[in-house]
Amino acid sequence: MNLMGLQGGQYCPLSPEQIKIVHEASLKILEKTGITYEQGLEDIVQMLEDNGAAIDRDRKNITFPRDMIIEQVAKAPEKVVLCGQDPKNDLHLTENRVHLGTGGAAIKILDPETGDSRSTTLKDLYEVSRLVDKLDNIHFLVRPCIATDIDEADYDINMFYACLAASSKHVMAGVNDEKGLHNVVEMASMIAGGLDKLIKRPFISIITSFAISPLKLCTQSTHIMQEANRCRIPVALSSAPMAGSTSPLTMAGTLAQLHAEQLAGITICQLTQAGAPVLYGGIPGMANLKTMGYSGGAVECGMMNAAIHQLSNHIKVPNYNSSGLSDSKVPDAQSGYEKAFTALLASMGGSNYIHHSAGMLESMLTIAYEQYVIDDEIIGNCCKVLKGIDCDAEHLALEVIDSVGPGGNFMTTPHTMAHMRTEYYNGNGVTDRKSREKWEQEGSRDIRQRALDIAKKLLAGPKSLYIPEEIDRAIRKKFNILLEIQ
Amino acid sequence: MTDFNEIKDTLVNLDEQRLIQLVNDSLEKGIPAGDILNKGLIAGMDIVGEKMENEDMFIPEVLMAARVMGKGVEILKPLLGEEETSARGSVVIGTVKGDLHDIGKNLVAMMIESAGLTAHNLGVDIAPEEFVRMIKEKNAGILCLSALLTTTMPMMKQTIDAVVESGLRDQVKIMVGGAPVTQTFADEIGADAFAPDAGSAAKIAKMLVNQF
Repeated sequence: MNLMGLQGGQYCPLSPEQIKIVHEASLKILEKTGITYEQGLEDIVQMLEDNGAAIDRDRKNITFPRDMIIEQVAKAPEKVVLCGQDPKNDLHLTENRVHLGTGGAAIKILDPETGDSRSTTLKDLYEVSRLVDKLDNIHFLVRPCIATDIDEADYDINMFYACLAASSKHVMAGVNDEKGLHNVVEMASMIAGGLDKLIKRPFISIITSFAISPLKLCTQSTHIMQEANRCRIPVALSSAPMAGSTSPLTMAGTLAQLHAEQLAGITICQLTQAGAPVLYGGIPGMANLKTMGYSGGAVECGMMNAAIHQLSNHIKVPNYNSSGLSDSKVPDAQSGYEKAFTALLASMGGSNYIHHSAGMLESMLTIAYEQYVIDDEIIGNCCKVLKGIDCDAEHLALEVIDSVGPGGNFMTTPHTMAHMRTEYYNGNGVTDRKSREKWEQEGSRDIRQRALDIAKKLLAGPKSLYIPEEIDRAIRKKFNILLEIQ
Repeated sequence: MTDFNEIKDTLVNLDEQRLIQLVNDSLEKGIPAGDILNKGLIAGMDIVGEKMENEDMFIPEVLMAARVMGKGVEILKPLLGEEETSARGSVVIGTVKGDLHDIGKNLVAMMIESAGLTAHNLGVDIAPEEFVRMIKEKNAGILCLSALLTTTMPMMKQTIDAVVESGLRDQVKIMVGGAPVTQTFADEIGADAFAPDAGSAAKIAKMLVNQF
C-alpha cells in the first residue's frame, strides 16, 4: 500500500487571517530591513538593482519593493514534478500533496552488528539507499549520510552515484560547488539519455543553503542555486533559522523572517531564469537555549513546519521542509513520539516534501538501519491519517449490515474480504501486536531488534544497480567512481 | 578579608545596576581593582560557566552575564595596572575554511574573554594559512577551531597540519569544538583538547594557559 501524494491541510496552525499577517510582515521585512550579502555576489546585486531593488553598497544591504517580490514570485511554477528513475516513484509537488523521505548529512551510524555509533562510509550510503529503495512508505531519497572515508574532492559525484545506483526513488542532495553541480548533472544526463531528457524527467534535484539566517545571502550556495536554475534542474532553497539564535525566539517572528528569506530567494531564482522550478525551502527550527544546539525533536518543530507550508501555499510555490527528527541517541520511546508528533503535524499541515523523516537520530548527526524501518512505519501511519475515512455507500456498508442482521458477524462477508487489505494500515511488520506469550516465545524482542531483523532481511537480496551496465561503464570511465558493487 | 560573594551573586543574577553600585562601593572601601576583577567578576563568571555546563542557565542569560560583567570591567579598567590588563593568555579562535557558522564560536570567544584571557576572534571561513599567520602575530598560546558542518570537519585536520608544518605546533595548544565534533575526532586529528560547550571551553582554555 503506497500512500504518497495524499492531500494534507487538515491541520492549520495559522488561521487565514494569520497567514496574511505573517506574509505582510515578511514583505515589510524585505522593504524596510532588507537582506545582506557576502563578497562575490556583485553580479546578483546588479541584477536585483536593475529589476527594482534598492542597494546600499556601503552597508551591503538590499531592500525589495513589495511589487517586485510579488511579480517575481508569481513566475515560480505552482507544481514541480520530481521524478524517480522508475516513474512509479514520481512525486507531484503541489497544493497540499504530502510526501515524506530521508534527509541529512549524518556522519555517524549505529553499526548493525555492534549497535555502537561509528563514522559513516560510502558503503553505508549505498546500503542505506538500498534499504530506502525497498521501504515502500519512504517516498524519496535525500542523501542521508556523508561518505567520511573518501576525499572531499570526490564527494559530489560519488554521493549522487551511490544513491542513483542503489535506488530508483528521486535523489536530492547538495553539492560543494558549481563544478560538482556540472559533474552531477552530466552523470544524470548520461543515465537519462541526454540533458533534455533529464530536464523533462528530473530524477535528481539540488539543495542549496543560499541563505544564512538571519537575512544574509551565502555566495557559494547562491551561485550554485543560480546555476541549477540555468540548467533547469529543480532546486530546494534551504534556509534554516533556529528560533532564539538565528531568528526571533517566538514562532511567529521566526516564520516571518524565514518567509522573507524565501521570498528573496525565489525572486533571485526567477530573475535568473523565469519559470525555474524551485521548492520553497523554509525550515523553521529551534535552538536548545541550554546549549544553542538544534532541538529537532521538539513538537514546535512540527507546528512550525506545518505553518511554513501554509505560507508557501499562500504564494503557490511547492515546499521542502523538515520533520520526523528526534534528539534521542537511540531508537527508543523518545525517538518514537518525537518523530510521530512532528512527522504527523507536518503531514497534516500539507507539506509537499518533508525530508529528515526517516532514519535519523541525535537530531541530524546519526542514522541507523533499524530507524529507517521504524520511520517507514511512522510515515505509513501519517499517510493513513491523511487518507481519512471514506464515507460513500460502499464504505457505509448499509446493505452488509442489513444482510448480516442483528446478532450476526462480519468476518466472512464478501464486503470484509473486499476491504480488509486496504481499509486499515497493515504495516511493514515492525509493530508488535502479538500476545505476550507468543512474544516471549519469540525471544521478547523489542522494536529495535525487530526493525534490524527486517532491515537485514531486506538487504540480504542481490545488490541493486539501477544504472544500466553500459552507461555505468561510461560513467566510471569519465568520473572517479569509488563505489564497488559486488 | 573581603567577601566577594555579593558581587558574584549579583553577576549570576544579571543585576547590572546593582553590580555597578557594588563595584563602585568596593573601590570606595579601598579594595584593589585587580581583586575586584579576579575575585569578584571573573570568579562570578566561573560560576556562570559552570551553570551553563550543567544546563542550569539558558545561553541568552550567559550572554547577559558577560554583558553585565563588561560594565563592571569598564569601571575597573582605568584603575588596573599594565600587568593586570595584559591578559593572562592570548587565544586565536575562528571557524575553519568552508564553514560559515559563527554563533557557537562567538560564544566560546566571549566565555574565554570572561575568563580573563584575550580572544582574537578571526571570524568564519578562515584558511589554515591565516590561522598560522595570526598565531604568529598575536603570539597565541591557544588556537581554537570551530566547525559545525560535517563536511568541513576534515578542514580542522588540514588546519592542524598547517600549524605543524609552520613549526608553531609546540607554541600552541589546539582546542576543537562544534556540534559534530567529538573527543574521539579531536584525538584522531591530533588536537590537544575538545570542549563540548562554551563553558567548558573557557575552563579548559584557562587550564591550558596555566600549564605554560
